[in-house]
Amino acid sequence: MDGKPIVQLKNLSKTIGKKKIIKNLNLDLYPGQITGFLGPNGAGKTTTIRMMVGLMQPTSGDVIIDGQSIQNDFEESIQKVGAIVENPEMYKYMSGYKNLLHFSRMHKGVSKERIGEVVKQVGMQNRIHEKVGSYSLGMRQRLGLAQALLHKPKFLILDEPTNGLDPAGIREFRLYLQKVATESGVAVFVSSHLLSEIELLCDRIAVIQNGELIDIKNVNELHHSQYYFQVEPLELAEEVLSGIGFPLARHDGGLVIDTEEQHIPGAIQMLVSAGAKIYTVQPYRATLEDQFLEMTGGGQIAQAHAK
Amino acid sequence: MLKLMQNEWMKLWSKKASWMMVFLLVLLLFASAAIGKYVNSTANEGVEESWQAVTAAQLEVNKAMIMDPAMNDAQKDYHTGQIAIAEYRLENDVRPFEFTSMQQGVIDAHEMLSIVTLFTVIIAAGITASEFSQGTIKMLLTRPVRRWKVLTSKYLTTMVFAVLLSVITLFTAALAGLIFFGIGEGTFLEWNGSEVVEGSYWLEAVKLFILSFASVWILGTFAFMLGTVFRSSSLAIGLSIFLMFTGIQAVFLLSNYEVIKYYLFTHTDLTQFYNGFMPVPDITMTMSLIVLAVYFLLFLGISYWTFSKRDITA
Repeated sequence: MDGKPIVQLKNLSKTIGKKKIIKNLNLDLYPGQITGFLGPNGAGKTTTIRMMVGLMQPTSGDVIIDGQSIQNDFEESIQKVGAIVENPEMYKYMSGYKNLLHFSRMHKGVSKERIGEVVKQVGMQNRIHEKVGSYSLGMRQRLGLAQALLHKPKFLILDEPTNGLDPAGIREFRLYLQKVATESGVAVFVSSHLLSEIELLCDRIAVIQNGELIDIKNVNELHHSQYYFQVEPLELAEEVLSGIGFPLARHDGGLVIDTEEQHIPGAIQMLVSAGAKIYTVQPYRATLEDQFLEMTGGGQIAQAHAK
Repeated sequence: MLKLMQNEWMKLWSKKASWMMVFLLVLLLFASAAIGKYVNSTANEGVEESWQAVTAAQLEVNKAMIMDPAMNDAQKDYHTGQIAIAEYRLENDVRPFEFTSMQQGVIDAHEMLSIVTLFTVIIAAGITASEFSQGTIKMLLTRPVRRWKVLTSKYLTTMVFAVLLSVITLFTAALAGLIFFGIGEGTFLEWNGSEVVEGSYWLEAVKLFILSFASVWILGTFAFMLGTVFRSSSLAIGLSIFLMFTGIQAVFLLSNYEVIKYYLFTHTDLTQFYNGFMPVPDITMTMSLIVLAVYFLLFLGISYWTFSKRDITA
């Protein structure tokens, strides 16, 4: 990624009691990029996020936001951050508007016009003067987003933002985040358990397990070209295809071959002339879920989904 | 800071409970005036006691009190003043306020500040704890405002609320007195150390309010600390109210021990230096103020320390 990172985690560590929850995390986040943050339950996602917004103090290491340390220059650095940490909890006994007014007073230079603008952006004009207690979870998520965007942050950090949104809401939310990232150059950091959601939303994913960052990947890197062949007999097909140098693997009663589209007709021709029966040939894409399971060693995903 | 307080003030008055407190306070003040009128009209039926007789009786009591060797200087001063005032009244035929008069109601209104203490304790205990229990603390502390500023705005707002309730108490007592008793006969007299002079009963009431406010202030601060440290308003409210009632009783239990001089509740009632009723005689106003200040700094110190260091996991 080009450009200077807006957020840097530097050797971020957290020890609670004798347990090292987070171990030397290093991560750079860039303007305009949406980074997904994945990990099984208990991997340290929430702790990391809480340290990034100043709710928890790192045991060692630091979070640098736009060149300023969150520990030494809290007010200056956190000013550039918009956050929703877990559910967007608002003052239920006040209207949505009063909630926004409340938070706007805690930032410098957020005008009443700006509040109106943000309300319009998240599509809440009609109900903003009703009490938050009467809002659905989806409405509250929108209000949560509104409060995070009030002060035009350079860095948006969202913990499980699509929780409780319906499919239309999730889609809208995704398009909106992508718009904010590309148009305003905001760096977005999203943690989620919804792997398919992360796959659609993010440019890049960071995977954490047992407090350690085990992988950072660009999402388009995940999708190199692969094809799935359902073919009989399998041994014959394997022999033919590996004979011409295709890297292949057995998968789900067939074969998965790393290759480009233009080589497919040739491959089919060779298999047919060798006497193999072809039932299906289709592009194959490993889902993020498959990769995630592979990376984190599987077992714990059950817990992650159970949440 | 003003904006932060504006926020706290807005949140405070967005809760129905705060309005209920004001309503209850006004209701209680009116009720106590009404009860006072009723009791007075039934109990004193047929009893015609002139103010001269009552004043003469008080004079005798005060004269007896001043002979008591256990009296300290503050108490002696008080009784000397009372004797001088009583003698002046009898000689010059200047009657005190009737018991059932608006003026006497205003002077006695400070006794109703215990209700204000109760309400202040509830607000003080909840103002930080509720942010934790609602989960809004995460929203509040991820703003470009240092934690000590947030806590200061909450503390100051609580105290402004307490002052407001006190002012409401004073004026409601006056209004209720006016409605139920009307302006009664009598003149307020005070002893300035050398002679008896006529004084303003309003000024007297304000003096008593300020002295009584010490207990609102210190108990409010105590509840504020508990709410901040334990993050549970019910625990903080319960513990503060329990101490408010038992704390003063304990003064009598502990009165034979030296430690009583440093015990908070020995000092919470500053009117004791003004009305001669002192359960622990060998303390002075200065000493009380110092003890209260030390407790105050301790309570706030603990609040600030835990609030700014704590990892937010709510």
